[in-house]
Amino acid sequence: MIDTGKSTPVTGTGLYGTAAIVLVVTVEVDGLVKCYRVHRRRAGLRAALGGLFRREYTEVRAVDGVGFSIAAGQIVGFLGPNGAGKTTTLKCLAGLLHPTAGTVRVLGHTPHQRERDFLRQVSLVMGQRNSLFWDLPALDAFEVNRVIYGIAPARYAAALAELVELLELEPLLTKQIRVLSLGERMRCELAGALLHEPRVLFLDEPTLGLDVTAQAAVRGFLRDYNASRGATVLLTSHYMGDVTALASRVLVIDHGRLRFDGDLSALARAHVTHRIVRLRLARPVPAAALAGYGEVVGTDGPALTLRVPATDTATVAARLLVAFDVVDVAIEDPPIEDVIRAVFAGG
Amino acid sequence: MRRWRRYPRILAICWRAALSTELEYRLNFVANTVLSLFWMCWAAAGAAVYFQFAGDLAGWTYPELLVVIGLFFTVNGLRQALFQPNLQRMGEYVRRGTLDFMLTRPVDAQLLVSLRYLGIHNLLDPVLGLALAGAGLAASGRGVSAASAASFVVMLAAAVLLLYALMLTLMALAVVLVGAQELDQIAFGAVELSRFPVQLYRNPVQSVLTVVPVAFLTTYPAQALLGRLHPVVLLVGPVLSLGCVGLASLAWRRSLRSYTGASA
Amino acid sequence: MGEFVRGYLGLVRASTQVAIAYRGRMVVWFLTGFFPLLLMAVWLTVVAGSGPPRGWTTGDFIGYYAAAAVLWHLSGQHVVWEWDADQRSGDLSVRLMRPMHPFHQYAASDLGHRVVALAMLVPVLAMATLVTPGLQYHLTAVRALAVAAAVLLGYLLSLVMASVFALVGFWTTQTSNLYMLWWGMGSFVSGWVAPLALMPGWLRPAAGVLPFRTTMGFPIEVLTGRLAGTQVWFGFAVGLGWLGVFTVVYLAAWPHAVRRHQAVAG
Repeated sequence: MIDTGKSTPVTGTGLYGTAAIVLVVTVEVDGLVKCYRVHRRRAGLRAALGGLFRREYTEVRAVDGVGFSIAAGQIVGFLGPNGAGKTTTLKCLAGLLHPTAGTVRVLGHTPHQRERDFLRQVSLVMGQRNSLFWDLPALDAFEVNRVIYGIAPARYAAALAELVELLELEPLLTKQIRVLSLGERMRCELAGALLHEPRVLFLDEPTLGLDVTAQAAVRGFLRDYNASRGATVLLTSHYMGDVTALASRVLVIDHGRLRFDGDLSALARAHVTHRIVRLRLARPVPAAALAGYGEVVGTDGPALTLRVPATDTATVAARLLVAFDVVDVAIEDPPIEDVIRAVFAGG
Repeated sequence: MRRWRRYPRILAICWRAALSTELEYRLNFVANTVLSLFWMCWAAAGAAVYFQFAGDLAGWTYPELLVVIGLFFTVNGLRQALFQPNLQRMGEYVRRGTLDFMLTRPVDAQLLVSLRYLGIHNLLDPVLGLALAGAGLAASGRGVSAASAASFVVMLAAAVLLLYALMLTLMALAVVLVGAQELDQIAFGAVELSRFPVQLYRNPVQSVLTVVPVAFLTTYPAQALLGRLHPVVLLVGPVLSLGCVGLASLAWRRSLRSYTGASA
Repeated sequence: MGEFVRGYLGLVRASTQVAIAYRGRMVVWFLTGFFPLLLMAVWLTVVAGSGPPRGWTTGDFIGYYAAAAVLWHLSGQHVVWEWDADQRSGDLSVRLMRPMHPFHQYAASDLGHRVVALAMLVPVLAMATLVTPGLQYHLTAVRALAVAAAVLLGYLLSLVMASVFALVGFWTTQTSNLYMLWWGMGSFVSGWVAPLALMPGWLRPAAGVLPFRTTMGFPIEVLTGRLAGTQVWFGFAVGLGWLGVFTVVYLAAWPHAVRRHQAVAG
């Protein structure tokens, strides 16, 4: 009944003659494996000289048997520590990598064949990498994308106007891409990537290196865009915050394998039980004095790190600010490795 | 006193790392060697074309011309190995603020910034160049005397110092202009002019190139090796190059002052 | 098809903008691209010392090398460096995600720079012919057309040859080096090292049928009026033939190159 690969809703007859509209799968991955050969070298000059004549290779399984399917209009987050295989998976979906084994279907196409029809309906944005012409003012850089994707002038004008408004690009349009800040550049990249109204948007570490304001802006925009346009969004990130803000569904990938595939709130509820509070006090204070507020996990003179239950974080922070002479405070999610370790432990 | 021992040690660490990285890419190593040899043969063969029609060019026979070409590869190779990588990075340092780190380290910034990187694979060129110069000398029929050898060493050292002065001046410019590929091009162009002996460019170009000391880069060292050098030039060379290095250092300090003043 | 053309024009316009923005860099580049003039200076010394070699006078050399200096900047070979740089930096992935063949992306980008180079250099050359007594090209309308066609053919051929070498970069890191070897060997039979008429006799038949002359020596020889009618046609035929050969090689190799990229780099 499910017509794999075609993403338009299909009206068909079910087993008993009943018509059924089926929301069809946009992305279908089955048994994806991707291996690389990597040359290993030890440090030192002698080893380097040795490497001139003899090389050791090891095979790395960047992705080791991953499978999932994604329906149209979902926002899906690929979460995992660095080097887990999420970017490799995403690149296989985008067609930049050819799978060693397994099948990948996106919008009814096999991505690595790079059919023009496929490329026209997708878009890729990579954190800290530019696809827009570096030396042109933003508006002209967008114009380049217009001609590359062959967007009709009327649709282009409408899409551009909408994106400029949503991403607040008005003051940036006449500035060269290379003089923009990282956050401004990412917003322009997003606009450039969406001018041709793709049905699938691939994002690789989109908030990497951005400050908090810029991160919030990017996340808010993606959420709104997905809600209004129904584009399928696939993003990789090692920031928990990206996924929390955006994705309803999370795929946790570690060591090339899929560790968790499901609802984000379930993951969060189950595993993000604590948050980290970092304090910098005016004067060093013995760790014992903070025992009542949370578990002290690190001290370094006037800098202290506490582990606080997630539900209590706000109240505890407020109490700390009152009770102590606090110079600086920061509240963070636990590192993703901790969450994922908890995921493994949980099963 | 101890400071002077530190500099060679620091450079040694930097350059050892450069060698290590270079060996990592062994194919590059082989390829660059092949290419160095190729370009030298290319230059030698190209020069031979002229001698189909003349026994000598402005008083230079073919073997003597080879000496100049060999020295050109020596000087150019040094430029590519030592000065070009550092010049190219100047712009980056300024743009990314890395220059600040360099300025706050307890080492003379000029030394660190101007000599930090070493393009190992380009070091083959100076060696090959000297070999070609030697071959040209042998074929020219002029013997080697203690005097000519000594004056050659002096003039070659002067040439290297002049090159350093040029690069340092361009680095100073790079700080002020926030780095530019154009500057590397200028250095490249200046050195390219020394590919042939200046006598081959007739006046007025010849005079210009003697004053703008391109002639000191290859022509005069070659003449020294061939025993054809006017004694006055032997005196002028070192003085000129030391003077240029001094001027370049001044320019460098000036540019640093403007840099730190500006970012404050 | 119309969309493709529009895409091309758009890219060319964009890269022209970039080239104009970097006109300072361009000027320096022109000023330092004087190597042909160096070679010319040596020839003039030969003329002064031993008389015109094979009848080439000072005026002949000035005419030849002035054109060579301009033509040097109208070559399509820069795409090799761009391809190479993009492969190293990973920006090639960005280009591969666009629904336009990377060859066209690089070609269109290069074309924009050439347009600016042309706009800057040709007037300079024209002015030079007015002020330099020895420099005359005696152009007729027909010959001017032939020159334009020859320059265009040379550009296209150098573009496709460079792109073919760029493909090698999918298998090895030595793209630039291999290309320089190719160019270096070709420079003896292209008219770069010396005008082909002045090269040793045994070299000239080979030079006549190899692709290198099409990019440098042939347009200059057409410009300076040294070729008879049949020789001009022959030159065009050779150039077009090689253009065909390299195009076929490129088209055949491209699917393998992409496959290789997808296996290794992404």
